[in-house]
Amino acid sequence: MPVYKLHYFNNPRQGRAELSRLILSQAGVEFQDIRFAHCEWPAIKPTTPFGHVPILEVDGRVLAQSNTIARYLAKKHGLAGQDEWEEALADMYADNIHDLLNAVAVPFVEKDPVKKKELYQNFMRITIAPHVAAVEKQLKKNNTGYLVGNQLTWADLAYYAYFSDFLEVKFGSAFLKAAPRLKALIDRVKALPNVQKWTAYRDATYPEDKE
Amino acid sequence: MVHYKLIYFNLRGRGELARLILHHQEVAFEDFRFEREEWTKYKTGTPFGQVPVLEVDGKPLAQSNAIARYLARQHGLAGQNEWEQSQADMYVDCIYDLISGTRPIIHESDKEKQKEILQKFLKETVNPHLEKLEQQLIKNGTGFLVGKSITWADLAYYSFFSPMTERFGDSVMDNSPHLKKLVEHVANIPQIKKYVETRPKTTL
Repeated sequence: MPVYKLHYFNNPRQGRAELSRLILSQAGVEFQDIRFAHCEWPAIKPTTPFGHVPILEVDGRVLAQSNTIARYLAKKHGLAGQDEWEEALADMYADNIHDLLNAVAVPFVEKDPVKKKELYQNFMRITIAPHVAAVEKQLKKNNTGYLVGNQLTWADLAYYAYFSDFLEVKFGSAFLKAAPRLKALIDRVKALPNVQKWTAYRDATYPEDKE
Repeated sequence: MVHYKLIYFNLRGRGELARLILHHQEVAFEDFRFEREEWTKYKTGTPFGQVPVLEVDGKPLAQSNAIARYLARQHGLAGQNEWEQSQADMYVDCIYDLISGTRPIIHESDKEKQKEILQKFLKETVNPHLEKLEQQLIKNGTGFLVGKSITWADLAYYSFFSPMTERFGDSVMDNSPHLKKLVEHVANIPQIKKYVETRPKTTL
């Protein structure tokens, strides 16, 4: 088994390394979950390939870019899809989440509490609601309970991480009222024994700073 | 023979990488383009209200990089092994971030403000990236980003930096001789050259 070292900031947990941690945890693969404080970043940054994290060290070689890392791990550990078409569909869903992470950065970094609230409200209405409706339609079409094919892929983990572990925790489940299939999917992922094991360990070991 | 239909605006933008991959590998495809004014007509037919979309024998695939990666893999431009494929993914993700960084510039209507945002983008985002990229190109030592031969990663860098120099001048790659050489190399590939000469002329 290769030695995996995943490097990222120590906060927030829903950041861009979480998907890779979920993939490794679900696959039952050990990894070094290296987290550093923001004050350490200036020293670490020049050692990374492109001045960003997360990075993954695999037996001494380094990979950058969160979805590249996640895809690499998913493929290595049976979570990428069962053929090349399914792999492409999983990529598509993971890219959707990547875009949604970029989009939520705007309200996330806003300091003014009144403006922040407004930005989040608009975000949920203008960006999240249409996407939820579109995904619900795709889930209905696929009709297996999973986003891709008939078994779990990293796409399902990505949607769980964003919609359950992030948005539901933040806003409750009301926004999923009209999306029973998406809700069922993220609940199903949440209930997976290895996912539960990971989140319990994570929450106990890295208490979240309340935003 | 698989039928490909690539659906996108009549722009280069996020559809161009897929087109370049297909032209480079001389794979026939339907290059379906529509004008901005027609967008509402096509939007509801897409999986997530966005383009590009690739239809493969009628089955839709969305997300520009998922599309480009699928085509690269199907047609021998993805990298020679798993690690190379991941390295190519990494570089294309970097370009995706750079493209996203140009959006505030493109959407700024005030010319003075646009110039300001552009300069900031070049100084704080593009130039630091290019510094790192030169190091990676030197380290790889083959002239290509990944391995010994061309991959979709090289086409992605061409696809971004060629319009950048078109728009903002050659100085964009002044401190990046290896990237400049790579972009020129891609530009001179016969299939690419022919496509570029014959494709619709678009601002973006």
